Amino acid sequence: MKRKTSKLLTLLAASALTATAVTACSSNSGSPESAAPTATQATAEAQATSGPDISKKVELVWYLVGEPHKDTQKVVEEWNTMLQKDLNTTVKLNFTTWNDWETKYNLLLTSGEKIDMIFASSWAGFYKYAKQGAFLDLKEMLPKDAPLTWQEVPKQDWSDVTLGDNIYAVPSTFAEYTPNGLVYREDWRKKFNLPEIKDLDSLEAYMDGVKKNLPDVTPISGKAINEINTLYLDYHDFKTIGGDTDGVIVASSYDKPRDVVAAPFTPQFAEWVKKMKSWADKGYWSKNTLSSKQEAGDFIPAGKGAIYWRNPSSAGGFINNTKLKYPDIELAYFPFTRFHNYAIPNLSINNGMAIPKSSQNPDRSLMVLDKLRNDPKYFNLMTYGIEGLHYDIASDPKHIVVPAKGQDPKVVTPYDIASWGWRYEPNMKTTEGGWDGFDKLTAEFKAETKPNIFAPIYLDYDPVKTELAAVHQVYEQYGQPLMLGLVPDVDKALQTYQDKLKQAGVDKLLDYIKQQATAYYDEKGVQ
Amino acid sequence: MLSLVAYLQLPGHPRFHYDYVAFINRAYGMTRSPGRREIEVKVGAKRGFWYELNKSKVLFLMILPVLLYFLIFNYIPMVGIYYAFTRFDFNGGLFGSPFVGWDNFKFLFQSGTLTQLIKNTVLYNIAFILLGNVLQIVTAVFLSQIPGKVYKRVAQTVMFLPHFISWVLVGAFSYQMFNSDNGVVNTLLKELAHPTYDFYLQPEPWKYIITGFYIWKTLGYGAVIYLAAIMSISDEYYEAARIDGANVFQQIRHITLPLLVPTFVLLILFSLGGILKGQFDLFYQIIGGNGMLYNATDILDTYVFRSLTVNFDIGMGTAAGLFQSFFGFLLVLVVNFIIKKTREDYALF
Amino acid sequence: MKIKIEGATIVFNALGYTLITLLALFCLLPFWLIIAGSFTSEVTILQEGFNLFPKVFSLEAYRVVFSTPGQIERAYAVTIGITAVGSFLGLFFVSMAGYVLARKDFVYRNAMSFLIYFTTLFSGGLIPWYIMITKYLHMKDSYLALILPLMIGAWNIILMKNFMKSIPDSIIESAQIDGAGDFLIYWKLVLPLSTPGLATIGLFIALAYWNDWFNAAVFINTDTKFPLQFLLYKILASAEVLRSRIVGNLSLSNMEAPTETLKMAVAVIVTGPIVFLYPFLQKYFVKGLTVGAVKG
Repeated sequence: MKRKTSKLLTLLAASALTATAVTACSSNSGSPESAAPTATQATAEAQATSGPDISKKVELVWYLVGEPHKDTQKVVEEWNTMLQKDLNTTVKLNFTTWNDWETKYNLLLTSGEKIDMIFASSWAGFYKYAKQGAFLDLKEMLPKDAPLTWQEVPKQDWSDVTLGDNIYAVPSTFAEYTPNGLVYREDWRKKFNLPEIKDLDSLEAYMDGVKKNLPDVTPISGKAINEINTLYLDYHDFKTIGGDTDGVIVASSYDKPRDVVAAPFTPQFAEWVKKMKSWADKGYWSKNTLSSKQEAGDFIPAGKGAIYWRNPSSAGGFINNTKLKYPDIELAYFPFTRFHNYAIPNLSINNGMAIPKSSQNPDRSLMVLDKLRNDPKYFNLMTYGIEGLHYDIASDPKHIVVPAKGQDPKVVTPYDIASWGWRYEPNMKTTEGGWDGFDKLTAEFKAETKPNIFAPIYLDYDPVKTELAAVHQVYEQYGQPLMLGLVPDVDKALQTYQDKLKQAGVDKLLDYIKQQATAYYDEKGVQ
Repeated sequence: MLSLVAYLQLPGHPRFHYDYVAFINRAYGMTRSPGRREIEVKVGAKRGFWYELNKSKVLFLMILPVLLYFLIFNYIPMVGIYYAFTRFDFNGGLFGSPFVGWDNFKFLFQSGTLTQLIKNTVLYNIAFILLGNVLQIVTAVFLSQIPGKVYKRVAQTVMFLPHFISWVLVGAFSYQMFNSDNGVVNTLLKELAHPTYDFYLQPEPWKYIITGFYIWKTLGYGAVIYLAAIMSISDEYYEAARIDGANVFQQIRHITLPLLVPTFVLLILFSLGGILKGQFDLFYQIIGGNGMLYNATDILDTYVFRSLTVNFDIGMGTAAGLFQSFFGFLLVLVVNFIIKKTREDYALF
Repeated sequence: MKIKIEGATIVFNALGYTLITLLALFCLLPFWLIIAGSFTSEVTILQEGFNLFPKVFSLEAYRVVFSTPGQIERAYAVTIGITAVGSFLGLFFVSMAGYVLARKDFVYRNAMSFLIYFTTLFSGGLIPWYIMITKYLHMKDSYLALILPLMIGAWNIILMKNFMKSIPDSIIESAQIDGAGDFLIYWKLVLPLSTPGLATIGLFIALAYWNDWFNAAVFINTDTKFPLQFLLYKILASAEVLRSRIVGNLSLSNMEAPTETLKMAVAVIVTGPIVFLYPFLQKYFVKGLTVGAVKG
């Protein structure tokens, strides 16, 4: 029955929510020299009035993921007034809402609904949809209809969204670092005199200490797979390729990108799973972890957990939030970049905007985007809300105060919509009162940044899609329990895992990925 | 309404006969004699389509909206089955995308677990259908007979509640009960000085647990159907039996149950079509991503779901659905055929 | 008349009461825990799990649900409207179809039953169905998209046919002899005799409308048209996402939306009305007119 199929697809979204967190948070590509165009360009009056023809009034339909804010209608009205005046255009802004957004996104594109611009991202299937021809080629239109954007986006970023010879999206321009890392209870560390967490051994010592002193607490409560999987990848410096998250086929390290291997067959893996077994037996996480539906972070405020996997951005949010509600709990953050001392910025198309094939006015849509990115009036309005209501510019123009003076924060909630697609660094502002550790970390990352050579490798798994599905199954059924140390006999389980992987065609998958990666490296001149 | 005296004087009075249904029907002259039209048809006086259309004009008109509805919402979209044989491309759309034959079906067979999956799916469904229906019948029978209107209304309402509890909550619930850290069951075991049991590491108990949850959730809903069917049984039959001295158990055995058989067969037949399809929500919420339990609890739907999360592919998804549908279809055809040969009016079509 | 209660009846009743009470308790207990849970603070649920009475009372979950005033009321109105209209129309068409298929003198009844049943076996999938509704029927963002897809279901029709088959042919034949048309027979004769069946199918159709959120999820954009279940799921999904996605360096506490207790509050809000209405519906589960009376 269609109910069953639709339920299947809709639950894709539910699990994909978790997957998006992983995909979005793992280090991805971007340009090391994140374009720092001059401020003047951003604030310049970008009215090339001798530009494209805007004599016809046009109404556009745009789609963003997620939810509107309760004041979005007001904001969009204001936006449309400005657009009407400047570009003889209005925009109807729609949202997919968060439940089943992936299904809805898919339906919007495949049904050919008339949409003029849609949020696009590597974690929203951008590459897949682009390959399948869902988006328009913007190559010709960009210099004409979005001249500012065309200039300011670095060449590397354009190449990230180019497939074949066509440019399928406008990536956001904002160097973001979202490496994996762990939030942990610093107050407990101090209390029990545990060493500072700076490597795997000290991490182990921390968890050991917590477990010994607080027998009721499970250091990593709830679902531990994210914590352990990212730890495993980053500790060994196994680099996943093209946005893959399983980590079965990886490059053996950043410095050896061409050495693509199947990780479960490496000696490091065998050693690792033995260690994980010992950790599991010591009770660092629950035996029921694979079936738990709760995040480790849920348990920290309840005093039942100590560790939570986060990237620096969401760590900041979590830390701030916890501080507000539970001021006695002190949290600190350990980024996994410290294992090997380098950081990789996100892929530019981690957030971006694309134009579906069905658009009737792609050129006008690009013009609106150009304005949105570059004109601070537009940018501030759509990204931060109405000045004087949702925010005020702080004394330092790069910061804003949320909400504006005199507004009740309970009534006027922060204006937050999925505005990430049109980010443009010079126009971005930070909210005052954020987690102070964040800026320090960003500086640390910028200092040790290296180019992202793995994420942009586009893998169209079509020739090996059967093997991919089969290997993924085996990873879930045999790999995950093994990596979480839940099996009774590690050696036997490892052997079974390896055998099943072979059966599923892991070698064929390995060859394919190796081939694609090598082609990419050759093209880009990566050693 | 027959008087007692008249009743006792009827020929073929069923003392020691027990087939009250047949008896009453005969008494009223309501045996299953074919209608005039039926006779016409059987004798081969079948006329053409337009003749029939004209003769049963009103009936056709009455069913026309429904037929149109299915045409629009079901049959026309069925062309989508073709996706299973293509590699989808936006530029080609449904019919323009390249044809790839059976490629999309390969992933079902590649991981070597297909037999296990089919076995699990089928066995769970059989357990659900049989145990579920039997329990529902028992419940309905009791509910219809025991006295106490208020009690019955309350009980019926309460038994309906699980239907509203989403599988998400059931999953959370199940975790609360069975987890080895502070789950209810293990806490109980500890109190009884019994070693704890790691439910989430052992596949064996789950077939019972899952079946239990399914039956619990569908009991109230399913019992309603049987209750309604019981309500359609005329009092006359029971009167006849009562007068004859049959007690409650005998009444149920000879009247209620036989008259529920058509409904039972219908529901079973209906469910057979979905024999390879599963209650995805149920399994996904209760088992989640726990590979250790897959041997005993993985069904086709969850397997397909996981395959699609890694690489969402319309072709593969449709292929899996087609595979499931096709098997169910074959099964239903076979069983329906068999039933038609034995008791024609029990057949689904 | 002396009412003699037989031994067998006593045994039967005893068995019945025991079994039904046990089953009812099994069904009630989890729901009770959910109600209690919905009034508990999120942290307590994580620490202590489910309890019969909230250890730490909290209305936080309900506060989140009702946070935007007027939203829930509006959603209730939409859902009630859709359920009423859809159930009425659906029941009408389904019962007509069931009647036609149950008529033994309708030559094509088996073929049509098969055609109808077939739709439950095979499906073209989500996308063609979606395209049909949005592109060809132009029902995107319209109430029709919430009503039509659920109105007529093959299962309901076949079940209805089954209920109607229990009406003896002779009744229909005698009406035919009297000169009644097919529709009249349906309307005046068959319908009144099928009240349990109608009540059952009506209930199922109504429940399907009440519980539906998927149609709204893919078809509706305007927030004044959101039905209840969808709204609640939306709130739940937002709360989940706020926890696990990158939301930047937000310092304000939009983030700790309770999720476990939220799920439970949602279940209570959705089930509440049904629990109150269902007992009223049960009075329709009475026997249809008896066989003999009609004949006689």
